Amino acid sequence: MTLLLSFSEIVFYFLAAVLLYAGLRVITTRNPVQAALFLVLAFFTAAGIWMLLQAEFLAITLVLVYVGAVMVLFLFVVMMLDINLDRLREGFWDYFPLAGFVGVLMAIEMVMVLGTRHFGADWVIEPAPHAADYSNTAELGHLLYTDYVLPFELAAVILLVAIIAAIALTMRRRKNSKYTDPAQQVKVKRDDRLRIVKMQADVEQSVGIDGES
Amino acid sequence: MHVGLSHYLILGSLLFALSVVGIFLNRKNVIILLMAIELMLLAVNTNFIAFSHYLGNPTGQIFVFFILTVAAAESAIGLAILVLLFRNLKTINVDDMDVLKG
Amino acid sequence: MLENYFPILLFIFVGLAIGVLPIALGRIVAPSRPDNEKNSPYECGFEAFEDARMKFDVRYYLVAILFILFDLEIAFLFPWAVVLKDIGMFGYLSMMLFLGILVVGFIYEWMKGALEWE
Repeated sequence: MTLLLSFSEIVFYFLAAVLLYAGLRVITTRNPVQAALFLVLAFFTAAGIWMLLQAEFLAITLVLVYVGAVMVLFLFVVMMLDINLDRLREGFWDYFPLAGFVGVLMAIEMVMVLGTRHFGADWVIEPAPHAADYSNTAELGHLLYTDYVLPFELAAVILLVAIIAAIALTMRRRKNSKYTDPAQQVKVKRDDRLRIVKMQADVEQSVGIDGES
Repeated sequence: MHVGLSHYLILGSLLFALSVVGIFLNRKNVIILLMAIELMLLAVNTNFIAFSHYLGNPTGQIFVFFILTVAAAESAIGLAILVLLFRNLKTINVDDMDVLKG
Repeated sequence: MLENYFPILLFIFVGLAIGVLPIALGRIVAPSRPDNEKNSPYECGFEAFEDARMKFDVRYYLVAILFILFDLEIAFLFPWAVVLKDIGMFGYLSMMLFLGILVVGFIYEWMKGALEWE
């Protein structure tokens, strides 16, 4: 038993170190593509930490939705814009003293609050492990589709707003594109292309048979 | 030392402080700003899940699920606005976005 | 619970080894004598005309956004499918309403022509 516990401790500290390193690289790296890839690493290790906390469904969702979709979107956008990196890096470290001060202060404050006995975080003991047939997904499902139905439907509305906003903002028809619609090409009838005109037959005047011209 | 609730909370707060520093440093680059916001949300979600696990209440995980949904919609719309800005201004530098006129 | 994931951990390690080992071996074993000419970009004997980075088309971005949103929809479907027997008609109808709202968005994007690749 002690061996197992120490193993999970090793996993926790390893994942925490990788997560903090990846976060550090996201905010300091020069190339936005690298920043996006380090953010992928951060999400992945965070999924590992959530797995340690037995939130299995959310860990998989994080990998599926964030690593699989959101980060791909970030990478697309980084690749789509040709950015003048040097201008964006101008004065990068100018505010570092202030930023470092604020960041360290925040971290120290939070550690002080969370680390004291009065907060009581250490009084909370590790809950008993779940039975073998426990399903995290089923537990979430039981809550989500009974008590939290209204937020669930609101989530659908938010997704709808996102779909419509994204299309309305970025869609534009190219005016000069030479686009042919195969369906319309196939549907073409003879009458669309060919017009038969009834007209009087012209009788050619017989002038100059002798060949004046 | 045994890994307890406070370890996860401190990890979350460190990650949060790190992304605050990131917002200070990358104040000109909108893409990295959005990434720092994603990191912040990740830290918050880690706190939620830690509490949910240690207090034995799965409601926290439901909350995280909705945060993930809203954050995905947020980054989709944020990046759409970013693409539109780049198309009109040819830059994503925050310093250049100083007119209200579209 | 954690010990159930031991195979996955092994899998990650093996995958990492397969990815990292050849690169590391190449670094260590292969001779490396770079010079200025070797490191310069090669474009059929000319100097490179332009930057190798090409801009992506904005249409990829639209497809990626729509992928995210429908990906989230799938994420909501998983727990629903697992507990469908227990939540009964109410849960079934709530998911149908969810899907109905998202189908409105789908119809909008279809009508708008966001899926066309002109």
